[in-house]
Amino acid sequence: MDPVAAMTPLEVIMKYPGPWLAWILPMLGALSMPLFERLGTKIRDYAAVAWGLTSVLSAASMIPWLFSGNYPGDIKLTTWINFPGGSPLEVGVLVDPLSIIVCNVVAFISFLILVYSTEYMHGDKHLTRFWFFFLFFIGSMLLLVLSDNLIQTMVGWEGVGICSYGLIGYYYRDAKERWLGGPPPHKMFPPSHAGMKAFVVTGIGDVFILGAIFVIFNYAGTLNYVDLIATAHQWLPQIAAVPGLLAVTAIFFLGGPIGKSAQFPLHEWLPEAMAGPTSVSALIHAATMVKAGVYLVARMSPIFYLGTWEMHLPEAQVFFIVIACVGAFTCFMAASQALVSVELKKILAYSTVSQIGYMMLALGVSGLSEGAYVAGLTAGVFHLMSHALFKAALFLGAGSVIHAIHTIYTFNMGGLKKYMPITFILMVIATASLAGIPPLSGFWSKDAVFIACLVANTPLSLTLLAVGAVSAAMTFFYSIRYIKLTFLGHESKHIEEMEQHGHHPHEAPQIMWVPIAILVGLVCVIGLLGLAGFFVPSLSPELFIEHLLHDMLHHMGIPLHTHHLEFPTILTAWGTSAAMLLIGGILGWLFYLSRRVDSWEFVSGNSTLKPVHTFLFNRWYMNSTYYKVFVYGLIDFAKAVFATLESKVFDKITAFVSDSTIAFGKVIHVFETKVYDPAINVGLVNFFVEGGKMLYNDFEFLLDLSLNRGVPATMTGLHNQVKKLQSGVLSYNIIYVVIVFLVLILGFGLTQMYGGI
Amino acid sequence: MEAYEMAIPYSLALVLLVPLVSAPVVYYLGKQMGKKVGWVATLPLIVTLLLIFSLAADVNGGGSYSESYGWAPEAGLTFGLLADGLSIWMLITINVLCLGICVYSTTYMEHRFEEEEHQTGVPTPNSAYASYYALYLLYAVGMLGTVLTTNLIQFYLFYELMLVPSWALINNYGYGERERIGMMYFMWTHVGAVILLAGILSSYWITGSFEIAALSGVVGSPIAGWVAFAILIGFFTKMAVFGIHIWLPYAHGEAPTPISALLSPAMIGIGAYAATRLVIIPMFPVFQTFSVVFSFWALLTLVYGGLMALAQDDIKRFLAYSSVSQMGYIFLGLASAAEYGVSGAIFHYITHGFGKCILFGVAGILMAQVGTRSIKEMGGLADRMPWTTVLCLLGFFTIAGVPPTMGFMSKFFIFSGVFNSALSGSPIQLVIAFVSIVMTVLTVGYSLWTVRRIFFGPLPENLKDVKEAPLTMILPLLVFALFSVFIGIYPRFVTDYLLPFFANVF
Repeated sequence: MDPVAAMTPLEVIMKYPGPWLAWILPMLGALSMPLFERLGTKIRDYAAVAWGLTSVLSAASMIPWLFSGNYPGDIKLTTWINFPGGSPLEVGVLVDPLSIIVCNVVAFISFLILVYSTEYMHGDKHLTRFWFFFLFFIGSMLLLVLSDNLIQTMVGWEGVGICSYGLIGYYYRDAKERWLGGPPPHKMFPPSHAGMKAFVVTGIGDVFILGAIFVIFNYAGTLNYVDLIATAHQWLPQIAAVPGLLAVTAIFFLGGPIGKSAQFPLHEWLPEAMAGPTSVSALIHAATMVKAGVYLVARMSPIFYLGTWEMHLPEAQVFFIVIACVGAFTCFMAASQALVSVELKKILAYSTVSQIGYMMLALGVSGLSEGAYVAGLTAGVFHLMSHALFKAALFLGAGSVIHAIHTIYTFNMGGLKKYMPITFILMVIATASLAGIPPLSGFWSKDAVFIACLVANTPLSLTLLAVGAVSAAMTFFYSIRYIKLTFLGHESKHIEEMEQHGHHPHEAPQIMWVPIAILVGLVCVIGLLGLAGFFVPSLSPELFIEHLLHDMLHHMGIPLHTHHLEFPTILTAWGTSAAMLLIGGILGWLFYLSRRVDSWEFVSGNSTLKPVHTFLFNRWYMNSTYYKVFVYGLIDFAKAVFATLESKVFDKITAFVSDSTIAFGKVIHVFETKVYDPAINVGLVNFFVEGGKMLYNDFEFLLDLSLNRGVPATMTGLHNQVKKLQSGVLSYNIIYVVIVFLVLILGFGLTQMYGGI
Repeated sequence: MEAYEMAIPYSLALVLLVPLVSAPVVYYLGKQMGKKVGWVATLPLIVTLLLIFSLAADVNGGGSYSESYGWAPEAGLTFGLLADGLSIWMLITINVLCLGICVYSTTYMEHRFEEEEHQTGVPTPNSAYASYYALYLLYAVGMLGTVLTTNLIQFYLFYELMLVPSWALINNYGYGERERIGMMYFMWTHVGAVILLAGILSSYWITGSFEIAALSGVVGSPIAGWVAFAILIGFFTKMAVFGIHIWLPYAHGEAPTPISALLSPAMIGIGAYAATRLVIIPMFPVFQTFSVVFSFWALLTLVYGGLMALAQDDIKRFLAYSSVSQMGYIFLGLASAAEYGVSGAIFHYITHGFGKCILFGVAGILMAQVGTRSIKEMGGLADRMPWTTVLCLLGFFTIAGVPPTMGFMSKFFIFSGVFNSALSGSPIQLVIAFVSIVMTVLTVGYSLWTVRRIFFGPLPENLKDVKEAPLTMILPLLVFALFSVFIGIYPRFVTDYLLPFFANVF
């Protein structure tokens, strides 16, 4: 991009406005919110939506590049940090299919949720803060996606973390009805705690990734993605030359994505993140921020792919193996927790964790064999996109439900179908997509993940496929469960009580259900395109993404080995999906739809299932263990150290030092009054009494002045003398002390000079 | 190193002379004016800040500016002053903090004296204000002089000058057992200074000169390690690294809050600067041999400080332990003995200066407006004090290194250096590097936990009437916070001075 380098920053932005304005404008918008508040709350809300729109338009202006295939790549703006003797760190954006796709998904969904929020949050007194974080989030997220180097990505990465912190803890007054968890006697958590937890747990991931970034920076001397890939053949073998280092670097690097995307073992923050307003959960904790990890893994995967398959460094593959296993395990674990949760938003949160597990699995298997790379990457990105759409829709639908009946618990819902028909239909379609029912988008994207596993065709990838398949059955089961508990069956006591008080659950207003309808519409369109693509390949969204990513990787100079997809592979994947839908569906039908079996009676009456239920309900006891070890354990440890080492050892030393100084002063004083005074002043006096009164008087005066007063005054440590704050004399004393010190030091220095030591 | 002819002659001498001469003036004016004299005291600090800014252009990109005056020519002793890429940001930080905190003091000290009047029933005489601001200026001179100095005797003089007024300020305007704690503070840092003096004198024994530049002559001497170690121990006492940190929580806890806001951010970190100037640069080969041991010591300090912070309930002691922990990071950067690591340590001094100054400022606001230092007794204050909440968050983000604050940049450099030296060193260093970076999460943890306990949650009944602090307290802190964000977004303002300087040195 040499011609760009010669341009001024402003010219660069004028030439390529889209990728810059997409994140700069929402950030400016965030800062402008307090000003718009002055003009009135209505104007402020409209302004927030307008800023969101600018971001959508900027992002959309990049879409033509997708079709022309002639995207600009790395656009550098200006030097951020000059490293003497090294290549400078530039501020820049990387515009390629991966970033264009993700940033459009983010901007578009953000905008819909902004619109939804104007109604959902209506009447809240602190919306300026809400919009600030919301817009700043959009800006940071797009910065993260579009940036061309790791440090800038980290700035956006932490930026979205701050916004997530601010929005989860939005109801920081911790009023009882905002608490999450339970129901009592289970532990409940206030929103401010949840926000802190989210920031700290993801922060753990962040420090890991930073560790890896420093290793990479040290060897590669650059953090620009394009340069990193271009020079990988130089620095990657150098890291690999230190045994174990490349593996450690890969694992540390994955720490960041694992934390941000709420994967095992750093997944425990996401269920609590539901304490924020539901529109925030939809945006940050379902559609966008939690995908940042997936994006970053995809972004860095070419390097490790090169390491594994071109340079044949076995340790490079650790990157893929770890993320594949983590993804599959998380997928299973979170789905199992969703089976038993009683909070609607939390079920969706577990489901999000589980679905991100699929994306990670896809990205992981992409490196397990040489031919699976493009398929895996495509599956990851495709599922990211499709999940973002249907999960945002689901959360917004859940928000409408919670908005209508003011409860988070599914056992307080039920029978809402007749009150909220539109929401019901939209939720059912989105849920069907989540469950992977053909021909909706979720079916195709999940299918792509299975195909990627099959293409990789190693023992590990097939095992992980089995785990993913079991999770798919569980997905369908819990989908049926929450739809039934929320919308079908009889109204719960809670709703009946509401009705008695004259509050009828109402359908969401238009401004809330239209954004959901748009999302669901897209889910259907993508799904139908997928179906059409089966006959006319050029229409298939999956093949479109695959084609784009293939081109992108080709431009990066990555040698690719793609095989033609065999029809039996596709059939196997479909067969797996269908079988799992059947298993999940039959169980769901038995327990919830037909009500042949009462689920709770069945579980509580069974001596095997009861403990399993308890185990799942308690989140595999991971959350409580983490608290015990890392929170209470750490604080107790700190307190214990403070009570022992700090207070008993160090404190005593210092007390000894200062006390002994003071004591020394006192000893001198005692010596002076008890020994010296009687012996000299009295004894000597007696001795000299006969000698001459005149001489004695002079001598006594001299002694008294110099020793009786001077010595103790100095030795008792200056402080006894200067006790009274308000005495005017005191201030003289201080100045005097300072001057004496200066003179002493100066004199000391000079005598050293002349004496020459 | 070439010296440029300046538009303003004697700039550096004036940086020291203006506040020094102003101190007695402020004192006498203060006796007439009382509390308003705080505003007069800001004037000399504004002048010095402008003088320092006027030098900045000369120093950019590895340049330097120096002045030298005859002091004791017979002994070959000159009074030298030097501003270069290393010292310029130290000077700016110290000066900006002193200026901001001077404004902050005008309100805070009024509150402090009212509190005192309430306890003793004796009205505050004007001289109390007078001597506070006079000492304050002397303290500023001490810090600026320590940074500017070019020879060891002069250095020692300013180093002590930094100590004495701060001791007097703690002793007279502090809280609790202030005399005893003032004494403790004095003893610890003075003992440190004496060990430093031993090192300085033995270096003279070897090199025959008191010039800092001549210290490189120590390298190669059989006792070089001891000389370096003695000098360093003196500075480490000031920085309060693990084992010799115990004076710090007391001094910072009980000092009057504006002074805490200078002690912790501005003063203790000068130890790191001095270690760089006196040991790392001239005696680099000697320092390198300590690298591994010091890295471990630094790790211990940063973890220990963080853990102790978790165990505190008194907000000022909490911040004090957090300073110990942050000094651990600075120490870690120094110990890496790598270009980026040492640059990062100095950068982190600036970060910690601004960040911790905001936080102590917030602590002072809480003490003045809420009337307690106990975190347990607070809660839900975000409703009552939105600005303070934002400041507190930004302050914590700054020290925890969360972008877009400058803390992210300084920690980035520290850890670049740490990994740089660890990857070419032993596996144990690599372990230290990984462990220390993972431990940074401790900072985030104790920070947000404290924010939550003070500002979030329900507002207790007895705090319903708490009011937001006056503008004189908020505004300086807000300026610091904006500065932190600004440097975080555009770090070249700092790195373009620091990095070329160290590129020339290493």
